[in-house]
Amino acid sequence: MSNAGLWLLAAAASMWLATGWLALSLPAHWRQVFVANEVAPGYLRPLGWLALGVSVLCCFKADHPSMAVLVWFTLLPVAAVATAMTLSYRPALLRVVCPVFLRAR
Amino acid sequence: MMVSASRGAIISRILAAIFGCYAFVWGVVALGVAALHGAGVEYHAAEQAMMMLAFLLYLGLFLWTFAAASVRRVWLVLAVGSAVMLAAAWQLQRMIIG
Amino acid sequence: MLNSFRQSMAWVHTWFGLVLGFVLMVAFFFGALSVFDREIDRWAIPETRFEPQPMPSYDNLLKQVFADLKPHPLDMAATAERVIGDLPAPETMPMVGLFAYTTHRDPVLRIGAEFAIPNKPIDPKDDHLHVHGWATIDPRTGAALPDDQLKIGSNWFYPMHYSLQVHWKNIGVFVVGLAALVMLVALVTGVIMHRKLFKEFFTFRPKKRTQRSTLDLHNMTGVVALPFHFFFAFTGLVIFASFYYFPVSGTLLKPLHDRHEVIEAEHTGLPHDEAGVPAELASVDAMVAEAKRIWAERDMAGEVGLLMIEHLGDANGYVSIYRAGSDRVALVGEGIHFKASTGEVLREEPPSDPVGAVNEFLTGLHLQHFEHWTLRWLYVAGGLLGCICIATGFVFFVEKRKQEHAKRRLQGCRLVDAMAVTTVTGMVLAAVAMLVANRLLPDAMPGRGDWEKWTFWGVWLLSLLHALWRSAPVAQARSNPAWREQCWALALACVAAVLLNWLTTGDHLLKTMLLEPYWAVAGVDLSLLACALVSVFTARRLARTVEVKQASRIGGVAYE
Repeated sequence: MSNAGLWLLAAAASMWLATGWLALSLPAHWRQVFVANEVAPGYLRPLGWLALGVSVLCCFKADHPSMAVLVWFTLLPVAAVATAMTLSYRPALLRVVCPVFLRAR
Repeated sequence: MMVSASRGAIISRILAAIFGCYAFVWGVVALGVAALHGAGVEYHAAEQAMMMLAFLLYLGLFLWTFAAASVRRVWLVLAVGSAVMLAAAWQLQRMIIG
Repeated sequence: MLNSFRQSMAWVHTWFGLVLGFVLMVAFFFGALSVFDREIDRWAIPETRFEPQPMPSYDNLLKQVFADLKPHPLDMAATAERVIGDLPAPETMPMVGLFAYTTHRDPVLRIGAEFAIPNKPIDPKDDHLHVHGWATIDPRTGAALPDDQLKIGSNWFYPMHYSLQVHWKNIGVFVVGLAALVMLVALVTGVIMHRKLFKEFFTFRPKKRTQRSTLDLHNMTGVVALPFHFFFAFTGLVIFASFYYFPVSGTLLKPLHDRHEVIEAEHTGLPHDEAGVPAELASVDAMVAEAKRIWAERDMAGEVGLLMIEHLGDANGYVSIYRAGSDRVALVGEGIHFKASTGEVLREEPPSDPVGAVNEFLTGLHLQHFEHWTLRWLYVAGGLLGCICIATGFVFFVEKRKQEHAKRRLQGCRLVDAMAVTTVTGMVLAAVAMLVANRLLPDAMPGRGDWEKWTFWGVWLLSLLHALWRSAPVAQARSNPAWREQCWALALACVAAVLLNWLTTGDHLLKTMLLEPYWAVAGVDLSLLACALVSVFTARRLARTVEVKQASRIGGVAYE
């Protein structure tokens, strides 16, 4: 796969992680995925924002700046909808986004 | 859903939002292009800038039409504003061409 | 207007959203299809299923093609109505201007020309005294494509999305423009109404009752793609602004505009008028080579997207060569103009000023001439999310008022629901039916394109009639069976289209994906199959909901 293709894949992956972490940082969704633990770790939200930033950088490595901006803004809704659908139909799948060592307070 | 406005008032607001605001924005665009060009901006740059501003302005005015307390005041502002601006644009054009 | 600001904004969102939502469905759906308009053309016109070609040689191929190009009978008829006296015979009209246009996705080349006429106009202000000719040609051979092969993608779905194919006085363009403005209004009022914007960013509760889960989906698809929806509506308006919506330069400020054009012509050195002195055309291929060299020097190497010649055959003639802007978003032309008789460079377009650059970015964002397949598919996803947002809006509107309307014996919900079916399943069905007709109609049939268009409108009308006919249950606060019935019809039509493509052209999916890859056609076939799957899934889910509702009423008590 070409260089640009790999960077785009990285952008998509970090975007998926970002939406996963940001979703899990919301109490209602944390309880959907981890029935036992009550409270989401406080650093999930900053981690999510960081992953968003990483995806921006990956987009800019893949393409001309003007296209990178558009790719990022259109990746976001696709990732967000994918995360939302996972939460609605198979919430347990999202546990992979937050493995055990991240769950510790 | 409680509607505390009469049917006539609602129709008036709808017409103001669609057509009244359109006329007002037309005035802003015409006057804006003429004024910018008169101030030295290249014609197409002036035109493009005003086109982009136009729809953001239209959006804001549209919402104001429904948020404002008095529909009469809305019509006054839109009608007088557009007439004044269109006339000013015409006048400015005459002055520029000389 | 109402008791509070929020209530007023909610009123605007509901009623303007409902009425213009039907137009917006068309704009968003056909807009999404238009991302791959040229690929749909390839599917519909099998003779064009070859690889995209660069602009061919002018000296060796296009020169002869243009020599053979005649004024088009349709434009002859239209122009004859605007001028005094009879038009001269088409073979005698001199060609005074021409263009050739291609992109990185086009196997075929679009060409056009202007022919001069000696007649005077009926309206003295009418300064457009030319007859036009046009054609689509195979750039490998110069052969012209038959005229009545309708380009279903670029010449039907694409214009549908910005004009609704209603051309009388350009009313369709204005209606779509109003709808786009209302889209912006709906987005802002939606945000004002939606209190838990961030908390419910990922919220979708499909197991709750229809009203709640529909609203969840409506909110989610609206919010997560908000920048996308906003920018597409906004840039669409900006693209048509100076020509249709705020044509100040052609009306109130025409004197100012025309004065600028003359000054600009003097400044650029590109002659506005003919000299009246005949002159030969130098080697255009040499000019193209020079243009490419200059672009490469500027670190913007590329192919020719648009070739134009003004004042053909005259001493003032000039050749304009524009780059196919495929590596960035902005629709830059990097135009280079040459003196037609000598081939010397007259002018290199300078980089745009800041306003121009912003404008080029915005229009380029919408018109998508860039080469980025991932981004194209992301655009389709965004467009479909917009469709889901609008469709769930309709469903929510009906669900919220169904009970009350049933109690008060009103028919409003029933009508809205029927119209929703027509603009959701019915519209997709009409588009796919058009593709089916495209494969069923005989190849050499005259007026083939017109038959395809009639199929489109006919199926859409049938779906409206079907939806109305089946809508009685909505007036009793139940659901319209037309939704799932049209889903089944759609699934059948999609599979039929794919099978017919195989039967009539031999291009089945195994061939177009693996054996002799041709992704334009494979993409359309795969999308049709995906649509069929979604339709079947939806139809079965809708049937299950009905069964559950009926079963839950057996005990005399309805559980919701």
